[in-house]
Amino acid sequence: MIEVDGLRKVFRVHKKEPGLKGSLKALFRREKIEKPAVKGVSFRVDEGEIVGLIGANGAGKTTLVKMLAGIIHPTSGSASVLGFTPWERDNRLRRQISLIMGQKAQLWWDLPAADCFLLLREIYRVPEQQYRETLDYLSGVLDVKKELNVQIRRLSLGERMKMELIAALLHRPRVVFLDEPTIGLDLTAQRAIRDFILEYRRVHRPAMILTSHYMEDIQRLCERIVIIREGEFVYDGSLVAVVQRYAQSKVIRAHLRRTPEPVRVDGDLRALGEVVACSPEELCLRVPRTEVARASAWILERYPVLDLAIEEMDIGTIIERIFRERGEVGGFRGPGSAAPGATSAGDP
Amino acid sequence: MSPRVFLHVLSVELRSQLSYRADFWINAFAGFLAEFGVTWFLWAAVFAESGKTVIGGYTFPGMVLYFLAVVLLGKLVSGREFEGSVAADIYEGTLNRYLVFPASYAAFKYAQRIGHLGIAFAQFVLFGAVAYLVLDLPRAGVTPLTVAMALVTTMAANLLYFLVDNIIQYVAFWADNVWSLDVAKRWLVMILGGQMAPLSVFPGKVRSVLEFLPFRFFCEFPARVFLGDIGLYGWLQGLALMGIWGLVAWLFGRLLWHRGQLQYAGVGI
Repeated sequence: MIEVDGLRKVFRVHKKEPGLKGSLKALFRREKIEKPAVKGVSFRVDEGEIVGLIGANGAGKTTLVKMLAGIIHPTSGSASVLGFTPWERDNRLRRQISLIMGQKAQLWWDLPAADCFLLLREIYRVPEQQYRETLDYLSGVLDVKKELNVQIRRLSLGERMKMELIAALLHRPRVVFLDEPTIGLDLTAQRAIRDFILEYRRVHRPAMILTSHYMEDIQRLCERIVIIREGEFVYDGSLVAVVQRYAQSKVIRAHLRRTPEPVRVDGDLRALGEVVACSPEELCLRVPRTEVARASAWILERYPVLDLAIEEMDIGTIIERIFRERGEVGGFRGPGSAAPGATSAGDP
Repeated sequence: MSPRVFLHVLSVELRSQLSYRADFWINAFAGFLAEFGVTWFLWAAVFAESGKTVIGGYTFPGMVLYFLAVVLLGKLVSGREFEGSVAADIYEGTLNRYLVFPASYAAFKYAQRIGHLGIAFAQFVLFGAVAYLVLDLPRAGVTPLTVAMALVTTMAANLLYFLVDNIIQYVAFWADNVWSLDVAKRWLVMILGGQMAPLSVFPGKVRSVLEFLPFRFFCEFPARVFLGDIGLYGWLQGLALMGIWGLVAWLFGRLLWHRGQLQYAGVGI
């Protein structure tokens, strides 16, 4: 459904020296520099597939999405979405795609969502019956039926984002571009939107490209990821494969019954793996994948274990490890980092 | 864009504007009274100081009637509330959402622009009726026929203004700010379009040049059609000239739009 071949985008931007002198100089002459945002990427996305585009800020994710949605023209290369060249903006294509940008409101600020949806129904020529059914279904799943007649500007961020999702999916697009759809949302709203996207995928089987800095979005939604760094793909493959390749260990977390004696950390335990945390109530051990079963049995036998969990390494940490190996670090948020102070049970 | 979508966009924009009730009424009253009041006092002073009873072919009451028509119809033509919207879309990146829609951006913006004329239309009806009933003005030339002709002229002028304005707005693809160009355009319309003084006060040669420029179609021409100063032949000639300027502006606008698309980065606030 989406085929990309050698897509490149180079922006020409002004370079201005700092200070008053620089501003005065720029009045007469401005130096332009070329800034490559996407450097010849190629890939394809099939029906029902959700591909996660991962990269630090400025890696070129959003530029790539904008080219595929037909918003900007590439410098070179080609792309085909449902058989059309996106930046030629054929209406037959635009009726079948959708773009959701978490950082930019697409709906009309002063109107109730219901009015915006009616306008979109006209624009996309959605038949009345289909419109009613889809709106009823989407607003029900996202639990915003009561808010449909409230002005967009009076809605909370989470409610607004849900309305944006409804607006983008009313015409049942076959290709959906999701650019940070959960940015700034609290954990409950993030979860609701993720569940909804999965449900939409199950029912309609669209091709989806998702960019997100929240690794939980990627983990929950994408089977395949594309890691992009400074406009170039550094990895394109399954999420499972990347985890197996870069996360060669797992974390065993044992919750212990408090005893008068301190927890013993001896040579036998250290021989199993790296002790990540040790307290009277918890023992946390990183062990090689192949040793997980043996280490778990050993811990259960030796310590007063109340509960035991075996966790994969956080995907955010894995991605950072990949970047660190390639000389770039940062830009990712693990699960639960959306709201300040929030934590998630999934954090290793 | 289908007429149905066009009307829907128009309706949405009108409703959006009506959602700010206080602003609607303040703008409707203050906007008109400030503009018309200044013109009234200015020309009262000019007539008093010059000691003349006729200037550029207008008596003082005739001049007041001319400016009443210019102010009210000019607002319907320029849709000032909506100026700068296209440049803002480009600069702020809100153009993105329109580019994804299966609809023409220009048609979309034009429908929005018409929807934004709500205040100007309320002013036209309200103050037009008040002026008709209260002021003792020489309105013999105003007939149902001239009103109908003025309506057609105003609609054509509105479209022409939109096409000319788009040329300036599209410069935002290259420049970060087109505000100065907007101001320059307003001054040109004000001076060369008969918004500050009727074109009849200009010397003969200048006037004959101004007759062929597009600016007078934004103020003077619709007002004089409304007042019955222009005959059928002159009216048709004016509409034809508007058509030619409209075509030129449309072609130039299209060229800028297509070139601008190659520059557009879709970034913004």
